[in-house]
Amino acid sequence: MSAWRQAGLTYINYSNIAAKVLRRSLKQEFRAEALKRDESHVRVTPWANGRPARKLFFETTFNTYLKRF
Amino acid sequence: MLGRFGPGVGTQVVAVVYHQPNRNMATLKAISIRLKSVKNIQKITQSMKMVSAAKYTRAERDLKAARPYGEGAVQFYERAEVTPPEDDPKQLFVAMTSDRGLCGAVHTGVSKVIRNRLSEPGAENIKVICVGDKSRGILQRLYGKHIISVANEIGRLPPTFLDASQLATAILTSGYEFGSGKIIYNKFKSVVSYAQSDLPLYTKKSIESASKLTAYDSLDSDVLQSYTEFSLASLLFYALKEGACSEQSSRMTAMDNASKNAGEMIDKLTLTFNRTRQAVITRELIEIISGAAALD
Repeated sequence: MSAWRQAGLTYINYSNIAAKVLRRSLKQEFRAEALKRDESHVRVTPWANGRPARKLFFETTFNTYLKRF
Repeated sequence: MLGRFGPGVGTQVVAVVYHQPNRNMATLKAISIRLKSVKNIQKITQSMKMVSAAKYTRAERDLKAARPYGEGAVQFYERAEVTPPEDDPKQLFVAMTSDRGLCGAVHTGVSKVIRNRLSEPGAENIKVICVGDKSRGILQRLYGKHIISVANEIGRLPPTFLDASQLATAILTSGYEFGSGKIIYNKFKSVVSYAQSDLPLYTKKSIESASKLTAYDSLDSDVLQSYTEFSLASLLFYALKEGACSEQSSRMTAMDNASKNAGEMIDKLTLTFNRTRQAVITRELIEIISGAAALD
């Protein structure tokens, strides 16, 4: 079993990390255009019972704390 | 006779008698206000058409680069002859739309396909993931209980593979164990035409029990797990690109039609404006001439 799968990553996470490293290692003239592909603005919210699912306050603040590191 | 009641009543009576404004003059102003606003609207729709034409050329170029992702994944499913499992009725539909409107019938087309399927019997096992606020708005009224996830911020920028990966991760971690699924999206056919189409989603179990899987070698459970995840992300990426291209071309057509309609309205309003103006001038002339004739 691959090390990354044991660490809890999916193949999608694994290939995205590899792609990020590749984009950062490009030469200066190709970097800017490649880095444009490195952003994602999609926001997914889970729904339950026809309304957005309510997350616990602690969970949301903990997640935002985690996202900064 | 008014003098009997004193000066107070007299002023009141004077205040009541007011000068009725000339009806044609008022409608002249109303027509010119309307004309100005329709001209502004035409300018806005024309500029929206130019903007979406530029975005469409970029989206078509991106789509050409993204086609191998989608077609490759679909080819694998076809060659291995993967079929949805008969024992697991749970299904997942992904509605590929966006957040922005004024683009013709792209969003309603996708939502209609899903709505029709959900109104048929046996819909309790189907859950929907709405990509884009438009499909969420259309489906949440009657089928809100079927929605398990909604994705925002689609349509403002061209979609990237990271967007598709975020969606794929959301599907994998949603906790909904589906047996098979479909991505409903708008397939781009040409600048003036697109049509609703679907891409199949399969789980690792269905792929493992596929009949012709032996056509592919060096496949073990780990590789299949990784490939299922990756093909989910690449199918979502392809559907996002196709949807974006169809949306921009449809918006271009819609704004072009709106500009044409606004142009027709401007022509008609200009004619009524000129006719009204001439009528006002004629009426003034008549008043002057009859006033002069009365003096004779």
